[in-house]
Amino acid sequence: MKTHRPNFVIAMAILIIWSLLPILWFVRMAFMNHAEIASFPPHILPSSFNLSSFVNIFGYDYKLADGTISSASGQAGQIELGLQNSVIVSVVVTLITMVIVVPLAYVFSRLDFKFKNVLLNAVLLAVAIPPVSTLIPFYTMYVQLGLVGTLPGLIIIDLTTTVPFVTWMLIGYFRNLPPIERLARIDGFSRLHTLVFLILPLARSGVAVSAIIAFLFAWNEFTFALVLVNGTPATTLPAAISGFLGQDPNPSQLAACILITIIPPALVAFFLQRHLAEMNIADPVR
Amino acid sequence: MATIANKKSRQRRRELTDGQFALMIGLPVILLLVVIVAYPLVYSAWMAFHRIMFFGGYRAKFVGFKNFATVLSDPEFWWCTWVTIRFTLESVILTMLLGLGIGLLLNRPSRFGSLWRTLVFLPWCVSLYGAGLMFAYLARGQTGLPTAILADLGMQNVPDFMTTRSIVEVLAIGSSWTMAPLVGFFVLANLKTIPKRLYDLAAIDQLTPLETFWNVTLPPLRFTLFVFTSISIVLSMKLFDLIFVLSDGGPGDASSTLTYQLYKVSFKNLNLGYGAAMSFFLLFFIIGSTMALYLVWGRREKAL
Repeated sequence: MKTHRPNFVIAMAILIIWSLLPILWFVRMAFMNHAEIASFPPHILPSSFNLSSFVNIFGYDYKLADGTISSASGQAGQIELGLQNSVIVSVVVTLITMVIVVPLAYVFSRLDFKFKNVLLNAVLLAVAIPPVSTLIPFYTMYVQLGLVGTLPGLIIIDLTTTVPFVTWMLIGYFRNLPPIERLARIDGFSRLHTLVFLILPLARSGVAVSAIIAFLFAWNEFTFALVLVNGTPATTLPAAISGFLGQDPNPSQLAACILITIIPPALVAFFLQRHLAEMNIADPVR
Repeated sequence: MATIANKKSRQRRRELTDGQFALMIGLPVILLLVVIVAYPLVYSAWMAFHRIMFFGGYRAKFVGFKNFATVLSDPEFWWCTWVTIRFTLESVILTMLLGLGIGLLLNRPSRFGSLWRTLVFLPWCVSLYGAGLMFAYLARGQTGLPTAILADLGMQNVPDFMTTRSIVEVLAIGSSWTMAPLVGFFVLANLKTIPKRLYDLAAIDQLTPLETFWNVTLPPLRFTLFVFTSISIVLSMKLFDLIFVLSDGGPGDASSTLTYQLYKVSFKNLNLGYGAAMSFFLLFFIIGSTMALYLVWGRREKAL
């Protein structure tokens, strides 16, 4: 491993730059003012760093260094509401998804039973349907059920995406765990106990990553949010931000908003990725 | 653990078979999914066989397979199919290569490991519409990074990548930028399940790094790689947010994948029957390509 040290450093540096460049480009824009963004040719660094956009999108005016006032964004109310709703929806969706998906993926990856492939393909079908084509049917159904513009309605829609998706991802992971079921049976563990006390701790890192994925899907869902909850009290952050695309274009505030949407999932990812670092399977079956 | 097991074994009445256990856990969820998925599918099927009119009052007229025939004879549909294939191939290959690279790089022990992991994972935290906006600003000549760099070097060129020729590549780079960390982290999670002693054995056998990679590292990854290739094919083919925000299908129809075209037909032209018929072709393509991948690749991995 030591022999590849310089190559490793270079590859790592390229990877980090690749990962951060688009985000940094928006950081730059968020700190610029209107005139700087509109100027041509564009500059790599803003001439002055000002926080006005971050203050504006939460509904406050900001006094710039030269005395002019950058006024609060008209979208502020929607954004605050959206932030709150997005947190609720994402947390609920993540919890429900994990409770459903972990046993499901385990069953599919480790046990043999009749109709397994048929059921697996049914799950795959649910993954394959493009959201655009289910938009109209879902909308009509939701109008009848009174779920348009409600958080439970959005949570159900998110679950129809996260459950099949995360199941498919976890199956591959569970297959690689050591086959300890038989040993557990000999020791007198029931199936449920085997899953909860033996498999789950072993599968910790896969489960952690799956939780991040479910959270991100719910946090970033755009298409359905736009149609079902945009402009209602149940609006989510993506729907609220879409206001900047049409009615109220302001690149700097738009960039600030997008950056704020990155923070919560990044925190979740940071805390859950430690599971990966601590993860060290010591080969329990010899 | 042992005491729990003993207590449990006394309480236990009888062992569930594999099938019963699977039924208990899987069936309720799958039934619910089938209901939730079946309803929109049946509704779309109904629309696909009707001509739906809004002007002069809402009417739906049964037209049989006419919508499907119209789709097949529409050159626009075939153009969008070609764009979809081009975009999907580029995006999937880029995503898988990047993902494998990320997994392998992050698996090396290094100082600040958790910091690097978090930074590399950041793109997946960016929503698809966010990524779409970022790449739109990066690639457009007016606001882009290449223009800014050239301007700082004193040149006047305005390299614009939002053109008919390169827009699909911009989209593919954008979508692989957001998807690759996901693949990378699952590769990483799988790499951690490889017992260390296999590497010791490989060292004793004096395998070259490439042979070690091929014989020790790759085999347990192959099933995960297959699963994620299928997943990224499906994701790329049904990708909407990114295209909607980044290029809006343009310039012209240069980046109208089938999913985008579906949106345009159903929501802009309000041609619901035609759109529904097209959605079945898209669904057929998506399922067909994953099935094909399963037949040429996934089937062999099952034996592992």
